[in-house]
Amino acid sequence: MSLSKEVIQALAEITGKDGMRVDPVDMSVYAYDATTRWRGMPEAVVFPTQVDQISAIMALANAHIIPVTVRGAGTSLSGGPVPTAGGIVMCMTRMNRILNIDTDNFTVTAEVGVVLNDLNMALAKHNLFFPPDPQSFLAATLGGCLSEGAGGPYAVKYGLFKHYILGMTVVLASGDILKLGGNTMKNVTGYDLPQLLCGAEGTLAVIADATFRLLVAPQAKQTVMAIFDDVTQAGKAVHRVRSAGVLPAKIEMIDNWVIRRIEEHTPLGLPLSAAAILLFQMDGMAPAVEKETDQVIELCRKTGAAEVRPAKDATEAQNFWTARSFGFSAVFGSAPTLISEDVVVPTSRIADLIQCIKALERTHDLTIVLLGHAGDGNLHPCILTDMDDADHYERAQMASNAIFDAALAFGGAISGEHGIGLEKQQILKKAMPAQGIDLLKQIKRAFDPKGILNPGKIWEAS
Amino acid sequence: MTASLLTDAPGRCMKCGFCMSNCPVYGIDPIESHVARGRNMLILQKQAGTLPPGKAYVQSLSHCLLCGRCRAVCPAKVSSPEITVAARAAVVRQQGVSWSQALVFRGILKHRHLMAHLAGIAARLPGLGSKQGTPLRHMADMTAVVSAGIAIPRLSRPFLADRLKSIRKPPDPSATRGRVVFFAGCGFEFFFSGMGQAMVEILTRSGFEVVYPQSQGCCGIAAYNAGDVKTARKMASANLSAFTDCDAIVTGCATCGTALKHYGHWLPQGNGLRAAAESLAGKVWDFSHFVHHHGFPGQPRRKRPLKVTYHDPCHLRWHQGIIEPPRRLLAGLQDIDYVEMDGADACCGLAGSFAITHQETSRAIQAKKMAAIARTKADVVVTSCPGCIVQLMDGAQRHHVPVKVMHIGQMLNKFEAGANHGE
Repeated sequence: MSLSKEVIQALAEITGKDGMRVDPVDMSVYAYDATTRWRGMPEAVVFPTQVDQISAIMALANAHIIPVTVRGAGTSLSGGPVPTAGGIVMCMTRMNRILNIDTDNFTVTAEVGVVLNDLNMALAKHNLFFPPDPQSFLAATLGGCLSEGAGGPYAVKYGLFKHYILGMTVVLASGDILKLGGNTMKNVTGYDLPQLLCGAEGTLAVIADATFRLLVAPQAKQTVMAIFDDVTQAGKAVHRVRSAGVLPAKIEMIDNWVIRRIEEHTPLGLPLSAAAILLFQMDGMAPAVEKETDQVIELCRKTGAAEVRPAKDATEAQNFWTARSFGFSAVFGSAPTLISEDVVVPTSRIADLIQCIKALERTHDLTIVLLGHAGDGNLHPCILTDMDDADHYERAQMASNAIFDAALAFGGAISGEHGIGLEKQQILKKAMPAQGIDLLKQIKRAFDPKGILNPGKIWEAS
Repeated sequence: MTASLLTDAPGRCMKCGFCMSNCPVYGIDPIESHVARGRNMLILQKQAGTLPPGKAYVQSLSHCLLCGRCRAVCPAKVSSPEITVAARAAVVRQQGVSWSQALVFRGILKHRHLMAHLAGIAARLPGLGSKQGTPLRHMADMTAVVSAGIAIPRLSRPFLADRLKSIRKPPDPSATRGRVVFFAGCGFEFFFSGMGQAMVEILTRSGFEVVYPQSQGCCGIAAYNAGDVKTARKMASANLSAFTDCDAIVTGCATCGTALKHYGHWLPQGNGLRAAAESLAGKVWDFSHFVHHHGFPGQPRRKRPLKVTYHDPCHLRWHQGIIEPPRRLLAGLQDIDYVEMDGADACCGLAGSFAITHQETSRAIQAKKMAAIARTKADVVVTSCPGCIVQLMDGAQRHHVPVKVMHIGQMLNKFEAGANHGE
């Protein structure tokens, strides 16, 4: 399918000449996201700046049955914004205004193209705190985070994007503009449609702006690093802390592979023999933080930590967290193809999941790097492989599938915060009964009868 | 320029998108082909032969300031500016240099007397020789300046070469601490010769014998960055031959300093001067770094306390890693109220010919910079690059920001009201 001259002309009239691109070279840079393997060329990219423009584009696309894939910064790890059906990419990066920071009612309303880090910087000036922290926060847009159901380390204590959404302005496939939800802390007005759009990967409607609730920034913080000789033991320590009733803001895990990369590049004096490190951050009122810190230190020691180091000061704490972020980048730069999983299990089963992954690593002769959010049961086992090496890639895929099976067997889920997109469509069938997938399709039809919004995502085309 | 710079290096990009967070160009208009991630993907496809034809490729390559800020935030440490330059060079190899670039790089920059002559003529053209003395950007942009609507700077009279003897001894020759070559670069040679002189005076008063080789020329970076490697190599070779025996080569231009430090990479394997270029790199110092390292006598003569802020030239901060020395020098001065501006590390938007080829984007980046300077309420913004100085002076006038723009050498040497034209 290719766009007719009339359609291109009409798009240009809606957005202005500067608001759209059709050069094939320009299309190439909207053909991917942050996954290594998915590609899909659009035929036009539009950059709306107003909700009215979104509405007009959707009405046009709906009339001509043209696929529309909404895109933020393209940092997704599931293939969600890859326009595999061609058609139009609606890039929201120019919808980047923070509309209102309500310091009386602790809410913020912003357009979806606002970058999460920019929002955080603006809120910090008012001592306000928006906790969800996907690690792509430097680039990721609010719309992308909402649509992919994003979260991050703070999920342990503070939850995900969907736990902060109060209301949104959306444009339906038909082009109709709608306000959903509101700006109050409570709101039970029929089905919770804003929640339905969280994690819908842009398949139901186009979100133009969103209103989130906010918190006041915590007064005190303390970081603790616990070093373990056994990675399974680290998993046990996570659950022991959680089940003791202590609620750190974050509990992150890195394994021996990452520790070695850190010591190669930015040495922190970590023991190279360590199998895993847990990083805890406690936050809140100072006396509570102090008490929780003591408890975490004691519980880690009791669970066999070889060494427990509370950060001496803010600088050392920052170094510890930089090391954690470095882990992410070290993994990404180290293999031609990366299968980055996003499984999540109840915290009581983390140790089991870890044990299972270590066994798969051995039996399939692979490197599987273990890092992740641990504290909420969400791990990102990363399988280092190469798509061009058929044998290796096959083993990697076998291990990947086995990890999904294990997560499901432990009562977990196949994706904690990245979404299904293109990456996990096959596994969806294992994770959800057929009737469930059928319900998804019916909901999709109710919102988008002609199937133009991000077609080909979440479930396999039948 | 190796193939691996065009395939392996961009191939290490993991598409995380972090470069979007601090790219000044993407910050003005968030378009994927204007940021390192998108550009690297295009370069990879171009090399693999899978890129569809379209003008947008060359446009994407040109839409980069080469400021190097993306490299600082890149988890995979992909050297996107180098990759972009290599890709531009590949285009030049295929399509040749445009006539206007050929005129500037191959003609004017290689023959600086001609350049000075042309500059003199341009300055006399009606409406160009600005009464306010708003100076020209980089010399390389001379021929395009008319269409860009940028006021031409007042030429220095005399040029720096005529102000300086070939060798200047310190006041007390018996206590000489060393011998340095002063590399002026086009900015201090022709437009800010007073600033150049100020730096030489500080160096001599600090106890250094200063040699000014008369045969030094343009550093060549404008040609190099545009992909005209052939011309850039000739300029590098000419400068390498001009340098005499010395302990250090000092320049007050962040951009020239970057070029001098990288001459070794510019020259091909087997070139006789390559070894000399590589050993020279270790001797090249930015003026602020050198003075901070060695110390200098005396205090500036000022009439009242000054509020001062500092702008990081990209070529100093991101390409040479010099961040603290200029700040420490300024903070160490008496009666200085030093204030850091928001985004001091962000490009001023000049970036050589970028200001002409992408005028709108350049002006928008400049506007952000001027707003940040205005918020500091500083009397003076100090920097270490003649290109930045031109852009900041132009910005101060354009946005009515009452701030004086000074080179750090000028700041250290003296402060006189109305003395911001290097004269």
